[in-house]
Amino acid sequence: MIDFTHRQAGHCESGTTSNLFRYYGMDISEPMAFGIGNGLYFSYIPFLKVQYAPMISFRNIPNTIFRRAAKRLGADAVVIKKFKNPQESLDALNRNMEKGIPTGLQVGVFNLPFFPPEYRMHYNMHNLVIYGKEGDTFYVSDTVLELPQTISTADLQRVRWVKGAFAPHGKMYWINKVDKNVDIKKAVSEGIAKTVYELTGMPFPLIGTRGIRFMAKDLKKWPKKHGQEKASFYLGQVLRMSEEVGSGGAGFRFIYGAFLKEAGEKFNNQELLDAAEMMGNVAMKWREFSYIGARNCKSRSEPTEDYGMLGDMLIDISYKEEEVYKKLAKIKI
Amino acid sequence: MDELKFDYKYKDPEHGTHRELFYSLDKDGNYEKNVRFHDDSDRIFIEQFWDVQKERIEAARQLVVSGKKSPIYYYMEKNLMDPMTLSSQVSISLWRVKRHFKPTVFKKLKEETLAKYAEAFKLKVDELKTII
Repeated sequence: MIDFTHRQAGHCESGTTSNLFRYYGMDISEPMAFGIGNGLYFSYIPFLKVQYAPMISFRNIPNTIFRRAAKRLGADAVVIKKFKNPQESLDALNRNMEKGIPTGLQVGVFNLPFFPPEYRMHYNMHNLVIYGKEGDTFYVSDTVLELPQTISTADLQRVRWVKGAFAPHGKMYWINKVDKNVDIKKAVSEGIAKTVYELTGMPFPLIGTRGIRFMAKDLKKWPKKHGQEKASFYLGQVLRMSEEVGSGGAGFRFIYGAFLKEAGEKFNNQELLDAAEMMGNVAMKWREFSYIGARNCKSRSEPTEDYGMLGDMLIDISYKEEEVYKKLAKIKI
Repeated sequence: MDELKFDYKYKDPEHGTHRELFYSLDKDGNYEKNVRFHDDSDRIFIEQFWDVQKERIEAARQLVVSGKKSPIYYYMEKNLMDPMTLSSQVSISLWRVKRHFKPTVFKKLKEETLAKYAEAFKLKVDELKTII
């Protein structure tokens, strides 16, 4: 068993990335990994349905955080995207365990035995770290849970080779060496610039702050278009995606704010601290939206809140968020 | 202990038993980390998901009992899948999966096709033929 410290985290991927860096003696906090690795995102894809509701995502595509954080922080990291067959992926993991390398994996959560039961859906973008093997049992550090867990080889193979949307195909990643003298300032500035681009500059109306507005306009039409029951379920989907497991609250906006704050304190940059405060206010607005929205989920056929009002709230949030990104774009770190 | 505070309890006693880490702002506007259970508003929309799933499963059960759909349809709903997910899990094309929802087609299915479905649902082939 590797001497790996498990720390609970708000989001699975930034948590694993931060824990892996910490194992190699580089103290990168979770918000820091999240910010440098461009975790923040928004996309709304109404024509793709997940569990019978439109696909909404507040996070970047899987493995972005680890790849980008490792690159910007100058770490020598390996990502194996795909294995040909399950046996090969197991052999590779066993080799890593013999060498004593804690290894990150992408898995599906539906068959994950220790996962909180209320989240066991067909969601294949979860991340965890394997840090040891004893006979048929692997030691697991899953940042959603408070304590480290164990899993049998058969179960592990099942979750690594789950099929469907975003199937992991046994994906695994690890760090070989970190560069402790790396210029974190540069990494942070690159991370912020990319996030600003991804949330305000993408030439596609369903992504970023424009995506939030697009969804808000659709949200207003849901009751008429789909009936009250479905509208309520769709609204529930928005809230589940923003508040549920692995978002750290308010659709990752709190984690990102914490990142801006940490960076501001580290580099003594007042403007970053101001941006952090603005992001905090945006996150509070998202929280408020989910408090009010949740009332409409209580009884599906009788809405207590007006969808028009909820839509306007989202539009307001999107403009407030845009202000933060505009401010961030101007900051010189 | 914390459980007592909630107005809104999960119907399934196993739900909401894990504490998670959340970020938030404290009164002075500083970021803080909290390890806590879900609060009431979170519970409402998480519960909504399971309510809808339960209704779907029950509706599917009725359809199978009345002979309008095959047991595959029921087990698909029971495992929270949609036809697309099921299709990729069993490596059978979507239109064929949808065809297998018909009871008449289902009766003629080969053992090996049934075995694929049984594996996806973690059942034995015999169990797949009936619903309980």
